[in-house]
Amino acid sequence: MEYVALGVALIVALLIALGQTFVNDIIGYRKRDPLEDYPYECGVPLYDKSARGTFKQGYYLLGLLLILFDIEAAYLFPWAVVFKEIGIYGLIEVIVFVGILALGFIYAWRKGALNWEM
Amino acid sequence: MEEILYSLAFTLVKVLVVFLVALGVGAYLTWFERKLAGHIQNRLGPNVVGPFGLLQPLADALKLATKESIIPRGADKPVYYMAVIMALVPSILLLALIPWGPPFRLGDTYVKPIISDVNIALLLAFAFGSLSVYGTIFSGWASNSKYAFIGSLRKAAVVIAYEVVLGFSVLGVVLLAGTLSTVGIVEAQVQRGVWFIVYQPVAFFLYLYCMLAESGRVPFDIQEAEAELVTGYNVEYGGLKFGAFPLAEWYINVIALSAIAVVLFLGGWSGPPILGPLSPYFWFILKTFGLVFFTIWLHWTLPRFQAKDITEIAWKILLPIAILNVIVTAFFVYFF
Repeated sequence: MEYVALGVALIVALLIALGQTFVNDIIGYRKRDPLEDYPYECGVPLYDKSARGTFKQGYYLLGLLLILFDIEAAYLFPWAVVFKEIGIYGLIEVIVFVGILALGFIYAWRKGALNWEM
Repeated sequence: MEEILYSLAFTLVKVLVVFLVALGVGAYLTWFERKLAGHIQNRLGPNVVGPFGLLQPLADALKLATKESIIPRGADKPVYYMAVIMALVPSILLLALIPWGPPFRLGDTYVKPIISDVNIALLLAFAFGSLSVYGTIFSGWASNSKYAFIGSLRKAAVVIAYEVVLGFSVLGVVLLAGTLSTVGIVEAQVQRGVWFIVYQPVAFFLYLYCMLAESGRVPFDIQEAEAELVTGYNVEYGGLKFGAFPLAEWYINVIALSAIAVVLFLGGWSGPPILGPLSPYFWFILKTFGLVFFTIWLHWTLPRFQAKDITEIAWKILLPIAILNVIVTAFFVYFF
């Protein structure tokens, strides 16, 4: 029943979002102007027709590390829930688990993977 | 059969009440924020439309709703529309996981003032929090504008950094409470008679940082950066499509994340019963609003970090602290 409630909430949220998205297309003012859809470029003519060119983003390695650490956090959630029941076994297990990942983290840090690449 | 229909209708009423009230409050937070910003900067803020400018949000909504729908040249149309939906839906859905008060009996039915009391509420909350990033990324990609594109890439960097810290910072609370359900966490605090901020002060501050980063507030608002990116990812949107982004990110998300912070660290609805049966709701809303006020206050008083600093603070300072906090909490829980 609780998940059904979540489904109802999802439908209502979708309806609200759809309303917000299309209200301007339905009741909005309509008068076409040849330059109205010109992308914003501080008033100068567009340099590139498409803005989706190559781009130096500087955090590619951080993106890879995110996968590692986010999955680690996801594994630790069920551990945290049952920690009181599994006792000393869970404590030692998690120290080994986090220890190995901490070694990897220190390695990445020393290699400079955490630095923003200019 | 009749029972199912009855409970479905009751759920629908709860959903509509919570969502519409939250959207209304979100709209009125624009008025509150502008008024507060005005007083912080020694001006008056909105004061023309209605008494104290109180009708300003309605006027703004009316203006936004009647604007022409303009889609930039070369935009990716389906993604352009989808971005609005992807920004709004997850942040509204976060509100479904928040327990506004303790369960009570009404006649012979058992009423829970929460839309969906699932036992994985916290995991779902972080899932929705991560999903709302797609709104930003899609809007930046689809708009065919370099400002929007750079803004969305910066948002990706911020989220990559703070998602991890957020996950680790709440683990301490989960260890103490032994459950992921939001109602369960509040009840654990009520039983102990101590708020978890007493046991987990470090985690609370980490959570505050992550909350500001996830909702794109100062000092982590590089994806907006009015001065350099002219509000970044939503620069090519107009009308209510534009209105959806600040509403979702700056208001609904901040309300929901503050409410989750109240659930995790500030004891949820617990507080002295000064208003009789209504006092749990009063305390919950007061605490939530206190955090929202704190966020807006920071927004208008602090400068912002560089993109480089934001990711390096998260990875090099906050993440080691968060991991240590989890290990220390595990020892604490085991030995005491």
